Amino acid sequence: MNRALYAAATGMAAQQQTLDVVADNLANADVPGFKRAAATFGAIGDNLGTTALGIRRLFEQGKLERSGGPFDVAIDGAGFFALERDGRHAYTRNGSFVRASDGTLRNADGWRLAGIRVPADATAVDVASDGRVSIDLAGGKHREIGRIRLALFAAPERLRSIGSALFAATREAGAPTTVAAGGARGPKLAFGMLERANVSIIEAMMAILAAQRAYEANAKGVQAADEMQRIANNLHRG
Amino acid sequence: MDGIDLMAAAMHAARTRLDVSASNLANASSAGFRRRIARATLTERGLAVATALDRRQGPLERTGRTFDLAAVGGSLFVRDPRGAVVAERSASFSLDATGALVDERGRALLGERGLVRATSGATVDARGVVRDDGNVLDRIRLSPGASVESGFIERSNVDSIGEMVDVLAAQRAFETAEKTLAAIDETRAKDANDVARVKS
Repeated sequence: MNRALYAAATGMAAQQQTLDVVADNLANADVPGFKRAAATFGAIGDNLGTTALGIRRLFEQGKLERSGGPFDVAIDGAGFFALERDGRHAYTRNGSFVRASDGTLRNADGWRLAGIRVPADATAVDVASDGRVSIDLAGGKHREIGRIRLALFAAPERLRSIGSALFAATREAGAPTTVAAGGARGPKLAFGMLERANVSIIEAMMAILAAQRAYEANAKGVQAADEMQRIANNLHRG
Repeated sequence: MDGIDLMAAAMHAARTRLDVSASNLANASSAGFRRRIARATLTERGLAVATALDRRQGPLERTGRTFDLAAVGGSLFVRDPRGAVVAERSASFSLDATGALVDERGRALLGERGLVRATSGATVDARGVVRDDGNVLDRIRLSPGASVESGFIERSNVDSIGEMVDVLAAQRAFETAEKTLAAIDETRAKDANDVARVKS
């Protein structure tokens, strides 16, 4: 049995997977509300190499950035916007919405922000830090039209990723609980802002370099194991 | 033991050294991994290799996640899905739907009151006390004298350069043993064939 050959090959596969995950992080570095992922590995058996334990999503807060979009909202703190489309539910921290013709606020993929409908005669929209949505009407009148509520999960890291910043509930993540923003310790909403992806380009580049070098080192291990096998096969030259 | 057996044992030993180094290299990115050391000793049956665990602590990497925990000067304890309690140096825990802290292998963190149950806003101090807004929830069970760093992961203690050198050394040792074996074989072939030729 040529253990070293297979052990080194598992190392190459691990670094390949790290590169895939880092590449995905980089590709989404400009998506508001995107959360970076990291592949984690653990040893297997007695000198049998390594195996992927899973891909973790890291929900650290991204920086809030003024965006200027008329319906952009960012979450400062925990929680997700609850979205609906065709009777299905999804959760996101990407608060980049546009007003659809029916008055609902939708994201670029057509997911609708639950519970809010902006009437056609509104001249301006404002969202307070506690999620209350108010509109300006012609003649200087204001009206409150609803409140954006956030979904909280007991274990957000166990949500299933179904898009670049979009998640579906899972049994492991727990059922979502709906909270209002603006409590003393709770999340707050920031209107006219977007949460940047929590991807650091510099860290991603460093991770790529490290993965490349580790890949090469494991490839050398494969070569050495193969070379030994070749020598062993030539022992009997006749 | 004759020369051929000795060289065969030496080749076997070199192969084991490569197995160990290749697996160490493969685990350069495994958090908390402890490298194996292959030690060759000369016995009456030729070279024999025994493996041991290098228990030196790996570097701590800051991750900033509260539930990434690294025990310093000892270990923390987890319960695996089969119910066995395992000592562990470092792991990334996350909350599951019941509030328990579970690592990527599905092992739950143990505290002094059983499984540690936390909240997403909880903090962990160096003595292992888990607090939520000042209220003590539990204390992580630690081995005597150990402290815990929250927001850090212990990286693998594999030194890639050292392992690469070991890979090369094992390969060369294998080649040397093979060359010697071939030389012994050739001498014996001469003995057998040429002595026979003189006689005839």
